[in-house]
Amino acid sequence: MPDVFHEIVVVDFEFTALPGERPGPICLVARELRSGRRFRLWHDQLGSRPPYATGADVLFVAYYASAELGCYRVCGWPMPERILDPFIEFRNLTNGLPTPAGASLLGALTYFGLDAMGAAEKKEMQNAIGGGTWKGRFKPEAILDYCEADVDALVRLLFAMLPRIDLPRALLRGRYMAAAAAMEYHGVPIDVEILARLRDGWASIQDELIAAIDKTYGVFDGRTFRVEAWERWLVAHGIPWRRLESGRLDLSDETFRQMARAYPAIAPMRELRSSLAELRLNDLAVGRDGRNRTILSAFRARSGRNAPSNSKFIFGPSVWLRRLIRPSPGYAVAYVDWKQQEFGIAAALSGDVAMQVAYRSGDPYLAFAKQAHAVPTDAIKATYGPQRELFKQCVLAVQYGMGADSLALRIGQPRIVASDLLRAHRETYPTFWRWSDGALDTALLTSSLHTVFGWQLHVGESPNPRSLRNFVCQGNAAEMLRLAACLATEHGIEVCAPIHDAFLVCARLDKVDATIAAMRAAMAEASSIVLNGFELGTEVSVTRWPDRYMDTRGAVMWERVVNLLPHRRKATA
Amino acid sequence: MTDPSSAPDRKPGLDPQASTPDPFDPANLRLSQSFIETAGVKKLLTTVPVRKPGQQDFVRVHPDPAYRENFPIIEVKDEREEYIVTNELVPALIGEFVTKTLFTAINRQGTIFFWPVRLPAPDGKNLDWWRSSREAAELAMGTWIRVRANMNLGAYDIFKADGVIPDPEWPPLGFWELIKIAFRDHLVDRVDHPVIKRLRGRL
Repeated sequence: MPDVFHEIVVVDFEFTALPGERPGPICLVARELRSGRRFRLWHDQLGSRPPYATGADVLFVAYYASAELGCYRVCGWPMPERILDPFIEFRNLTNGLPTPAGASLLGALTYFGLDAMGAAEKKEMQNAIGGGTWKGRFKPEAILDYCEADVDALVRLLFAMLPRIDLPRALLRGRYMAAAAAMEYHGVPIDVEILARLRDGWASIQDELIAAIDKTYGVFDGRTFRVEAWERWLVAHGIPWRRLESGRLDLSDETFRQMARAYPAIAPMRELRSSLAELRLNDLAVGRDGRNRTILSAFRARSGRNAPSNSKFIFGPSVWLRRLIRPSPGYAVAYVDWKQQEFGIAAALSGDVAMQVAYRSGDPYLAFAKQAHAVPTDAIKATYGPQRELFKQCVLAVQYGMGADSLALRIGQPRIVASDLLRAHRETYPTFWRWSDGALDTALLTSSLHTVFGWQLHVGESPNPRSLRNFVCQGNAAEMLRLAACLATEHGIEVCAPIHDAFLVCARLDKVDATIAAMRAAMAEASSIVLNGFELGTEVSVTRWPDRYMDTRGAVMWERVVNLLPHRRKATA
Repeated sequence: MTDPSSAPDRKPGLDPQASTPDPFDPANLRLSQSFIETAGVKKLLTTVPVRKPGQQDFVRVHPDPAYRENFPIIEVKDEREEYIVTNELVPALIGEFVTKTLFTAINRQGTIFFWPVRLPAPDGKNLDWWRSSREAAELAMGTWIRVRANMNLGAYDIFKADGVIPDPEWPPLGFWELIKIAFRDHLVDRVDHPVIKRLRGRL
C-alpha cells in the first residue's frame, strides 16, 4: 500500500448518463482503506465537499475515474489531487494483448481470477440507473448496495494490481481523468436550431444529396451504390483504383479518402458515401444546454488516445457537420492545434538534427524538399506548391508507415516517383530511420514499447511492424495531449474537446485572446516536457459569435446540405 | 540548440524553494526514448555480390585505397562466377586467371558489392571496356555514376547524376572482412578444387 498517502479512498458513484447531458449523481459509496470507514450517501446528502479527506496526501481510487470526477464537477466538489485509476492501469498492463473479458471492472476482475460479484445479473439495474428510469423500480438501498458491491470489487482488484503499478506515472495518467471530466462537462456548443432542422429532414436530404452529387457520376440506383457503374466512371476518367485480393474494387472509406486527396473529383462522392454510411444525426449527443458531450473514452486506443464514439461526437468523421459548431452569443471558440505535431515528435525524440531544423523552419515539408535538393534553397510555397505537396505527402506516408504503392496512389503518380520520395526521406533523415528501426527492434526483442510516461504497447502474436513503428509517435502525441489538457483545465480554461492534435476552447469574447494565449502556453509547456525541451508551435483558428466554426474540408458538402434546407425553412448559413 | 533525445532530462516545474523535488512532477517522470542505443541490434552483412553495376544503378566506389585491391581471378563464364586464386596456386595456374581490381561499391539501395575491373593484360593490351570501366570506378569515388555498355563504341558510357545525392553510408566493415564474405565459397586454394578440375576436364 503506498505509504506516502495518509488516506486511500476507493470511490464509486451511481449516476444517470443521458445522451449529451452532464451526469446526474444518484448516490456515492466510498471506502477509506486505512481506517476502514465506509460512506454511503444518497444524492440529497452529498453536500458541498466529499465526506472524506482531500488533499495531496489522499489517494483517490476509482475505476474509469472521469465518470466519478464528472459527478464531482456537478456537485461542485474540488478535484482530488492524486488520482489512481485501475482501469487505465489495467489497459496499460494488457494494451495490445487479448483479454478474457474486456477492460471493464468485470473484465479486470476476471483477468486476475477474482470474484466478479455477479455483475452480469445487475445489468438491468445498471441500465435503469444510467437511463434515469430506476425510480419506482429499484429502492435507494438496493442501488446503494449495488454501488457498494462495485467498491468492494474495486478494492479487491486494487490489491491484486498494486504490485504491478508504476505509481508516479499512474498518477499522471489518473490526473488526465480530471481533465477529461472537465472537457466532458463543458462540451462543444452546437447550433441546435440547424441541427433540429437537419434531423427533421435528414431522410429526404439524403435522397436529394444523392440526386445532386450523383449527377456527376451516375453510380447510384436509389440509395444503392453500384460498383460496376463506379468502375465505369473510373475507367472513363482514367483513374487507377486499388483492388482487393478478390479482384473487387476496394471501396473502404480509407481508400476513398486517399483517392480524394489525389483526385479531387472523387471528394464529393467520398463525402456523400461517408455521410450516408456513418451519419446518424440522431446519435449526435447534444444536451438541453446545446452542448455536444459524450464520453471521451480516454485510453481506449492502443496509442493511449481518446476514442469517443464517431456518431456521438461532433468531431467524428463527417467533417462538414462540424459547421454545426457555433459559440453562444457573446462567446467565441478557438481551435488550437500543434503544428505538424508528429513530425516534431519524431524529430525531437529521434534526435535527427536535420529533421529538427526542418521542423523549426516553420514549413517542414518545404524544408524537406530543400534538404533533399529537390527545390532551390530560396524556394517558397507560392512558387513550389506542387513539389512541396509531394514532399508533404511523403512525410505523411512515412508517419502512416506507407510503402511506395500506397504513396503512389495517394499522390496519383507512378510508383517510381513514390519510391524516390521515400528514398529521399531515408537519405535526408538517416538518424530518424535508425531510431525508428531501433524502436521496432526494441519492440520485437522486449515484446513491448513505451512512451515517455510509461504508456505501454505489448507485442502479441503476429506483430504488425508498421503499427509498432507508429506507436512511438502516436503514443507520445497522446501523452502530450493529455498533459496539455491537464495544464489547461487546471488553469481554468474552458476546454470543450480534445481533437487528435488539437483542442477546442471556449471563452467570452472579451476574454478569448487571453484564453488562447493561456491555451497555447499550456500546449507549449506540455510539448516541452514530453520532448525534453523541444517545444512545438501551435496555430489558432478563432470563431466569434455569430459565425460558425469552419473546416474548409467540409465546405462544399455543407453548402450542398444547406441549399437543400431552404424549401423547408430557410437556414442561416 | 538542445538535442532533446540525448540531453539529460530537465526538471522544469520544480519549486526552487522546495527542499525535495516533487516525485509526481511530469518533468521528473520521463523515460528514455533512445531506441538506437537500447535496441542493440545490428544489421549483419552476410552476402556481398561480385558483379558489374546494373545498367540502371547509380553507384559509388569507396574512395579509401584500403578498400580496393588487385586479385588473380578465374572467371567461370558458364556459371557467371568469379573465384580468387590464392598466392600459392598462382604459378600453377598462369594463363587460367586474369588480374582484376576489386573496387568496393554501393548502390542507391545501400547494397554493397565488389566491382571487378580488369587490369591491362601482361602484353599491354587494354581494351576500351576495361579502360572505361576503370575510369568510371575512379569517377564513382567522388560522385554517383551509372554505366551502360555501348556496343558500337566498344566501351562503357558513363552517366553522372545531375541532382545532389547524399553520400552513401558505408558499413563499418573492413575490406578484408568484406572479401571473406564475398569469396567464402569462391576461393581456389587447392589443386583439387572443383574449378581447377573443370579447367582441366576432370570430374
